[in-house]
Amino acid sequence: MAAAATGAPAHERGLTAAALLLPASLVVVVGLLVPLGILLRYSFNQFVPVKGLVPDSVTAENYVKFFTDPFYLGVLWRTFRVAAFCTAICLLLGMPLAYVLARTRSRHKNLLIMAVVLPLFVGNAVRAAGWMVMFGSKGFVNSVLLGLGLIGEPLQIMYTEFAVVVGITAVNLPFMVLTLQSVIEGIEPVVEEAALSLGAGPIATFRRVVLPLAMPGLLAGTILCFILAMNAYATPVLLGGPRFQMMGPTVYGQFAGLSNWPFGAALSFVLMTATISLTLLAHFLVQRRYRR
Amino acid sequence: MSKQMSEITRRRLVQGAGAVAGVTALGMGRAEAQAGGRVVIGTWGGDYSKLLSKNIDTPLVVPKGIECVHDIGGDSERRAKMRAEARLPRGTSDVQGLSAAQMYEMNEAGLALPIDYAKVPNSKNLLPQMKYPYGIGHIYSGKVILYNPKMIATPPASFADTLDPRHGAKLGIIDIQYQFTMMAAGLASGGSMTNYEPGKERLLACKKAGAKIYPTNEALAAALKTEEVGVAIMWKARAVQWQNAGIAVETVAPKEGVPMYVSGFVIPKNAPNKDGAHAWLNAMLEPAAQEAFAVDMGYNATVTNAKVAADTQKRIGFTAEEQKRLVDLDYGYLAKNDSALKEWWDKSFKG
Repeated sequence: MAAAATGAPAHERGLTAAALLLPASLVVVVGLLVPLGILLRYSFNQFVPVKGLVPDSVTAENYVKFFTDPFYLGVLWRTFRVAAFCTAICLLLGMPLAYVLARTRSRHKNLLIMAVVLPLFVGNAVRAAGWMVMFGSKGFVNSVLLGLGLIGEPLQIMYTEFAVVVGITAVNLPFMVLTLQSVIEGIEPVVEEAALSLGAGPIATFRRVVLPLAMPGLLAGTILCFILAMNAYATPVLLGGPRFQMMGPTVYGQFAGLSNWPFGAALSFVLMTATISLTLLAHFLVQRRYRR
Repeated sequence: MSKQMSEITRRRLVQGAGAVAGVTALGMGRAEAQAGGRVVIGTWGGDYSKLLSKNIDTPLVVPKGIECVHDIGGDSERRAKMRAEARLPRGTSDVQGLSAAQMYEMNEAGLALPIDYAKVPNSKNLLPQMKYPYGIGHIYSGKVILYNPKMIATPPASFADTLDPRHGAKLGIIDIQYQFTMMAAGLASGGSMTNYEPGKERLLACKKAGAKIYPTNEALAAALKTEEVGVAIMWKARAVQWQNAGIAVETVAPKEGVPMYVSGFVIPKNAPNKDGAHAWLNAMLEPAAQEAFAVDMGYNATVTNAKVAADTQKRIGFTAEEQKRLVDLDYGYLAKNDSALKEWWDKSFKG
């Protein structure tokens, strides 16, 4: 490090950089790329009931099964729909909250940020358990509505798409708020004041000034929420129930329940590819829109 | 190469040889210590794991100088682990707790060690049905009908009476019990232990009539408690536990037959401590341990010399007439068709 700072030769600086990069790269290669490579190979293996995976086989049947079966395509579509809904809601709810947090001069600002972070202290499964208490047929929501005489019969909230969307949104919202808040804080308030002083209304200021400048954070927050929602496991299992099937639990079911590693691996790669493709597409579209 | 060799001094060579010998001795020491005294038990968590400690490990195995370690996890995760470790010369567990169907599956996959019954002297008292070549039954119960007399006026006598669309939304079905549910529906519709197909139409009719599907056994228990549903099928042992917890259900042994649920243990082929594993299985069959499980969990003993109190036996067991109707599953059929059954369950029944 000292050598680099004092103007060491270029090849020495290169060596230092390589030494700094090596540990993290090793962790990624050993902990992520190698298992992914193995998983990719499994996805082209044949599965025989009872015997399991056939080691030396090479087949595309797992992918063919996925793309020719409306059931599995339906599971992927449902996953995408839920992820898109949750991300949109996080964006709508998170933006105003992040803006207020970024611009507030309250001496309680740190407490407010802590309040946003606080839900992350509790695991997803525990939070889902909390929603179960709220949404059950004799849960809080139904008891209140029945007590007020607004409904005659308990509403079926548990094991619905609504419950899953609420659960995942609650999990993901802090990620969106924190990402947006840090970016908005980086935008100087004088820029907004300039826009306002030049006659732009608050909406125009937000749309023409704040939004384009906050776009990197908005994109990062959206991508983060979308990826988390696409891969959600505990919330769909606990709040969606057995009949609401999303990709994460379906992958688990194939691996653990049926020991069908080849099809589970193929599902994993389809999910991963879909998530990465959609994320890149969003990135590309947004960049093109705001470059103009 | 030869130059390098010549540079190795005699002193260095002696040091190196000493180090190799030391490492070898250490390794052997570790292997011996493990063979002598440590058994890793793959088991479900919660009460079952605690009761294994309380009734088997602590009173019967630890006094013999064998350390007992529990590797806790769901059976699916532990089966996946057994498959993943298959190529290793030494696995990480010595015995694995699985259902009879899963024991069969692990054996078919070539992962279960044939049991050396000479090393399990208590097996002389084992019920013949519980003595598998590749595993030993630890406890058993049977699939019975549960109903809440307040909600179901006429007690169902058969699976056909239970898995009946006339119950509408009062019928509760457990997702993870898809195999037994399809089997029961099959038996109710003229099928057999090697043909569950006839039951599919019945299940679809029940779903159409509003039958509720719950993810786990516990979720069904909660629904029975809140009277969200009033009729279901489940192990008699679980029904007894739920009755003890104040859930108002009665049980009936179905007319078509009482499918047996056996939970037991296998030894993975690459278990590090095979002798310890056999010793643990032998302790598992001690009458005291078996009696304690009957009292604590409501499951039936798998050995003939366990003395279960008459009142307990009456609650958890089956009458002589019911015992005649106990039927074992065809594990070959189940293992061969499990993927297809689950796919139908996920796509057509739940979808």
